[in-house]
Amino acid sequence: MNSINKIIIPLLLLVAIAGCKDSFLDRPSESQISSNNFYQTTSDLRLATANLYGGAAWWNWQGQTDPWLELGDVLSGNGFVGYYDQSGDLYAHSISAQNSILSTGWAGLYNVIAQCNSTITGINQYTASSISATDKNAAIAEAKFVRGVAYYYLAIYWGAVPIIEDNSTLIQNPLLKRNIVTDVYKFITNDLTYAAQNLPTTDVAGRVTTWSAQGMLGKVYLTMAGLGQTGGTRNQAYLDSAKLYAGNVCKNSGIELYHSYSDLFKAQFNDVPEDLFALQWAPGTGWGKGNALQTLAPNLGDIQGWSSMNPSYDLYQLYTSKDTVRRKATFMLKGDYYPELNAAAGGYTAGGQTLKKHIIGNAKDNNSPTMDIWSSIEHTALLRLADVYLIYAEAILGNNATTANADALLYFNKVRTRAGVDPDNIINIDSIYKERRIELAFEGQLWPDLVRLFYYNPDKALNFVNSQQSVTFSYSKGVATPGNGTTGAPANVVPATISSFTLQIPASELSTDPKLADPAVPYYK
Amino acid sequence: MNENHVIRCVRRVTKSLLNKYVILAAMLCSFGLLSAQNPDVKVTGTVLDQSSGEPLIGVSVLVKSSKQGTMTDINGVFTVKAKVGETLKVTYVGYAAQEVKVSSPQLKIRLKEDTKSLDEVVVIGYGTVKRKDVTGSISSVTGKDLLKTQPATFDQALQGKVAGVVVQQISGQPGGGVSIQIHGVSSVNGTNSPLYVIDGIIIPPSSDPGNGSNPLSSINPSEIESIDVLKDASATAIYGSQATNGVVVITTKRGKTGAPKITYDFYVGYQEVPKKLPTVNLQQFATLINARANDIYGGWSWDARPQFANPKYLGTGTDWQGALFRSAPTTNHSLTISGGDNTTQYLLSTSYFDQQGIALGSDFKRYSVRLNLDNKTTDWLKIGTSLQLAHIDEDVNSTQSSVIKTALDLTPDVSVKNADGTYGGVTNPSGVVQPTPNPIALALINKDKKLRNQLFGNIYAEIQFTKDLSLRNEVSGNFDFNTEDKFSPSYTLGLAVRTYNDASYSYGQNIYTSVRNFLTYSHSFKQYNLNAMVGHEAQLNTYQNVSAARKYFPSNNVTSISSGDATTATNDGSKGSGPALEAYFGRVYLSWNDKYLVTGNLRDDGCSNFAVGNRWVYTYSGAFAWKINNEEFLKNVKVINELKLRLGYGLTNNQGIPGNTYVTQLTSAANGLSGTSQFQGNLANPNVSWETTKNYNIGLDGTFLNSRLDFSFDIYDRKTDGLLLQVPLPIYSGTTSGPGNMAAPYENVGSVSNKGFDLRISSTNIRNKNFTWKTDLTISHNENKVLSLGAGGSDANLSQTNYTNNEVAEKTVVGKPIGEFYGYVYDGVFATANDFKTHALPVDQNGKPYPISPNAGGIWYGDRKFKDLNGDGVIDTKDQTFLGSPRPTFQFGFSNSFTYKGFDLNIFFSANVGNKVLNRLAITLNDPQNHISYFTSVLDYAKLALVNPNGSATDVNNVYVTNPNTSIVGLRNNATANDNNRSSDLFIEDGSFLRCKNITLGYRLPENILSKIHLYSVRIYGSVTNAFLITKYSGMDPEIGSWNPLQAGWDDGYYPQSRTFTIGANITFSK
Repeated sequence: MNSINKIIIPLLLLVAIAGCKDSFLDRPSESQISSNNFYQTTSDLRLATANLYGGAAWWNWQGQTDPWLELGDVLSGNGFVGYYDQSGDLYAHSISAQNSILSTGWAGLYNVIAQCNSTITGINQYTASSISATDKNAAIAEAKFVRGVAYYYLAIYWGAVPIIEDNSTLIQNPLLKRNIVTDVYKFITNDLTYAAQNLPTTDVAGRVTTWSAQGMLGKVYLTMAGLGQTGGTRNQAYLDSAKLYAGNVCKNSGIELYHSYSDLFKAQFNDVPEDLFALQWAPGTGWGKGNALQTLAPNLGDIQGWSSMNPSYDLYQLYTSKDTVRRKATFMLKGDYYPELNAAAGGYTAGGQTLKKHIIGNAKDNNSPTMDIWSSIEHTALLRLADVYLIYAEAILGNNATTANADALLYFNKVRTRAGVDPDNIINIDSIYKERRIELAFEGQLWPDLVRLFYYNPDKALNFVNSQQSVTFSYSKGVATPGNGTTGAPANVVPATISSFTLQIPASELSTDPKLADPAVPYYK
Repeated sequence: MNENHVIRCVRRVTKSLLNKYVILAAMLCSFGLLSAQNPDVKVTGTVLDQSSGEPLIGVSVLVKSSKQGTMTDINGVFTVKAKVGETLKVTYVGYAAQEVKVSSPQLKIRLKEDTKSLDEVVVIGYGTVKRKDVTGSISSVTGKDLLKTQPATFDQALQGKVAGVVVQQISGQPGGGVSIQIHGVSSVNGTNSPLYVIDGIIIPPSSDPGNGSNPLSSINPSEIESIDVLKDASATAIYGSQATNGVVVITTKRGKTGAPKITYDFYVGYQEVPKKLPTVNLQQFATLINARANDIYGGWSWDARPQFANPKYLGTGTDWQGALFRSAPTTNHSLTISGGDNTTQYLLSTSYFDQQGIALGSDFKRYSVRLNLDNKTTDWLKIGTSLQLAHIDEDVNSTQSSVIKTALDLTPDVSVKNADGTYGGVTNPSGVVQPTPNPIALALINKDKKLRNQLFGNIYAEIQFTKDLSLRNEVSGNFDFNTEDKFSPSYTLGLAVRTYNDASYSYGQNIYTSVRNFLTYSHSFKQYNLNAMVGHEAQLNTYQNVSAARKYFPSNNVTSISSGDATTATNDGSKGSGPALEAYFGRVYLSWNDKYLVTGNLRDDGCSNFAVGNRWVYTYSGAFAWKINNEEFLKNVKVINELKLRLGYGLTNNQGIPGNTYVTQLTSAANGLSGTSQFQGNLANPNVSWETTKNYNIGLDGTFLNSRLDFSFDIYDRKTDGLLLQVPLPIYSGTTSGPGNMAAPYENVGSVSNKGFDLRISSTNIRNKNFTWKTDLTISHNENKVLSLGAGGSDANLSQTNYTNNEVAEKTVVGKPIGEFYGYVYDGVFATANDFKTHALPVDQNGKPYPISPNAGGIWYGDRKFKDLNGDGVIDTKDQTFLGSPRPTFQFGFSNSFTYKGFDLNIFFSANVGNKVLNRLAITLNDPQNHISYFTSVLDYAKLALVNPNGSATDVNNVYVTNPNTSIVGLRNNATANDNNRSSDLFIEDGSFLRCKNITLGYRLPENILSKIHLYSVRIYGSVTNAFLITKYSGMDPEIGSWNPLQAGWDDGYYPQSRTFTIGANITFSK
């Protein structure tokens, strides 16, 4: 008995060991999908590209410190954020390389680019052969469109930046030099052209189409037209390209402006056709993955921000007495009543001057129970048809002082009449810039517009920034009084200089990669 | 009648219970006791200490033939039935065992103290070896020694006890963990933790033990028999891929053959915060706010507060630290019963430990039961178990709600409670004051409770095929079931309003199992001794967790998830397995003439963390030891008891990365477009492979002067190649910054070297009849250097940004130690006109110095000067330099113990030398520009004055600073251009310290009292833990353990270690 056991027990154990095969060491994740078994159907591709429209990828650019608005609207003088030093420094043009909005913005755009690059790599590497080339190319085109937009912002704000197409190459070779700005723009137009050629003409609401790509191309070419030019004139060939693509969207897309300006910024009207590219935010995502713009909200019950975006006196003055629709949809004045905000409590009456655009109310107002301060369901538009209309008009104006071109006037005035203001008979660069500033206020557009101007007419751009009355104001019974406000005055503004138009590389990035301080090198050999 | 009677009754009951237990135990065992056949003589004897002549209590006396045993009483006297001529085996802990022939019915036995228990057994992994035959670098600590500091968890007690091991507390929170580095830091990805093996059960490292969930906190320290720390590769290689950072082997107490032994240990203590930081009182605060609002040299000109108009009429305001910290009790009870016969030995231990934290909203309770059984089933089979069940109940709210930092931030004008008894809060409407919620309220009304049920179990069977050949099979598991219950109520605390309440609840289970089988052959051939072992092991970790959350509860008192608004419900969960590990291993040990010892290890490890081609790797090591004292030329040198030289070399491998990093993982994420989308969670590196460490070790062990002096000295050189690291690439890689990044790829990026030595000396300075004095000293020294960082070449670096100013504060580069502090060198404040002429100014993005001006964008008086290290005349990033290491160059432990008759006294010091601490609290609390509270030192802000009082306040030649030696900036509003708070050595302080870790005074009750209370032995004691701390550091405590070697030594308002006063007793009820 004993001796039998002595033999049997070890034998059983040997069997147990033999049972341990190599598959014992195969432990694929049970909670996540691996790229090498994804991209098997068209709907896999759609899930992959959906990720590029919002969520964590876009959080840094439009998240907690919100570089999209801080750089687009605070730096340029449209408004300022109360009690936030880093924002105050932008407002005052006293920006150090340590400014956290700088590094967040830089990180945010490159995070988007990393997701786009990985999506393109994944699709190219693993797409099942059963998927049609059209579907595959359309998916790549979506990723290239988003990547083009991200590089556009990088080029606008930082000029020469490193171009990365495949993040995995950074494992072997992590330290890059910057690439010259003309090559960055060339890269952008390559991406957007691919997108314009491979995106469908229509898709479900919220997805980009060829019209999104062509509208963006119009904008990028219009910007490039000034790059490297002197004497206040722009490159006509690029102006023509801008005119071609923007005009194509205006005339051939079949898309019209949405009839109500104020509804554009309400969540019920997310993704109307006018929104050529809007971030697709979801509710209940928690911190770090949602639209956090309502951290700028006043007390709206369950939604109460801790900061505020206040309009500047200069912006306030631009609105004529007729221009109330856009004014009221853009920022609140003391006493303004908004029935749709905190409706259960009878609406909201503004106690001071603060942002209205992107403030959509609480969870009940939007019938979205899981929506919270970190996850507004507003789909923020980065490119609207109205923007493309004005691009088109500006491209037609080109190097002329004024224009009364019928197309230019038609689309320029479509924007104005929708807002309830009178049409113009003749337009010049100043009227276009003023219209853009009003129409697109707090949509992250003003500083890119100023950079576009700066490229070919730096004095005018500098003058624009330095001559404005970018101060707070008090408002009582229809009268606005500029001044230092009673609370939260911004830091003293120093004049912008030529160098203000190119942001510094964030200090921590420069410290990680000292090669960024080297002269920029060409990307295209 | 009265108490004597009561005690007798209790004793009788206990006795009868005991008898029952013994019968039960006997019934459990199939091989009962056989009584002797012939009538015996009653033998009475006295056992004495050979040197002092004192009687020894509790000595075990066993009749060898009959296996009958007894113990000596309080007078050292025993009585046993035995025949003349029989042999008695006399054993006593700490004394050499003796066999005595019964020559007469009256015996006097003298035991010799075995100070250097050379027969002490050391666990070496899949086997044990006698201390004198050890070839590797192994340090041991006895359970008795551990208990001297009354630690809540045993890892806290290792500091200064083990040479070569640097131990630093991560958090003083009850149950909080420590960081332990054995022979330096060889890994940069955060897993420098050694492998913990408790009775064969592997405890996986916790990702962040500082915030609760320290897996080691389940172990009741008083159940530990010994801890063996395996330090060099020749010792650790047998554990293979998990052991690169050393192995801590914990052996719990087991039952011993003999009558049931019942011990009861208890202590109660109270803890207090050892130091409060000097924050401003209300008068000082008001004075500063007034000065800032009204300062004519560029002050704010706003934020004047009418209520502060006359500071001297104000009181001292709220002392937030005083309100947050409390004197907190701690209690421990443990009851152990152990014993057994020749067949079965048992140990049953129960304990209850309750520690309230010194900060409100923190406490730790542990209930545990341990059952260790060993059974000799047949003459060829032995089976047994080690089982422990623990229930941990932790309140981690104070850490989760950051109440310590908040208490330091809140200003003294805010009250803890309003007159009506409700909690106070920030009410200043100016808006400059952030509506920070009242931390006292948060500590008390928020809930964050972690419960954990943990089962450690190991069962074994050992088959003895022949006298020399045996097979041991072990199955072990660590089953961890945990929940976290959080509730955040709605509140109105002044202006801090939370309009809704919400709750979350999570459940997780981690199950770690392993199966191992190994065959051991041991044989002596004349002067050779051979021991060979081969085995196989497989380990698997599986995890599952789920969480749920809701908002809008009808009341703050109903906190169960189900009562929240169902439409707000969110949930999450994941499950999976890995890492899976499999290994084949073997060891050969050979000794010749008890002079030359050789050990060789070989192990083949497989791990699921790598892609198929990189999964398997070899680990090997060899060691040689020379017992010099056994050579002829030393045999007669009486002064040397033992002298042994050890040489070891080994190559070990580390797989310490998460699974599946070699492919891109797609995570489902909510999306407004399609409901869901696939976010790419990581940048994959298919080539990632094992990290390899080569380790050389030379050691010398010696015992001299009749075992009164004992030392052990080791020098080591470890070189790690293919460092596994989640590389912080530049931000543009999309893998670095905040949410939305992809997890950085794991790479094999470079190599790092650790060289150092460690020394332990134990000495018995005085030993006579009534008095002994023993001293133990440990010294650990390590030098760490990064040799390469892979592809980046000389530019490559790993840096950590200081989030208060978004600048690199700690950097790792080639040629320097891992994670050195980095920044500018502070050089005083701009105080005279000459300073502006002679001192470099910081520059803007175009390299142009900022103007000298009190306006925005200018540099002005009271701004901080930084040294122009590269001499280019401007201050820019090129002027940053390395500012010291957060790791100590030396760590010391110094212990003295004295005994005098029944008294014992132990004083234990530990010390760190050479480590730096980044005092992040000082950055904000010493900044007069901030919107939170201040240290009192801020009152010495740079005060500006005019040379000519009628002249211009903006003329650089007409202003000066009246207190030029201050380091606090001025009150000017627009001082951002200079970036005064940039990372600099101003905030990096010397963290060296000498800590009186523990003083314990004990007294063993004398026999005449014991006989009256009918107890066997009683020791009562009092102790003070963290009695005092000598340091230059200005924060609460410079001991800041860190889990992340790249971000070590950052003081963010740590939970301080408490000073604890304890009284307790160790009681043995019966023999």
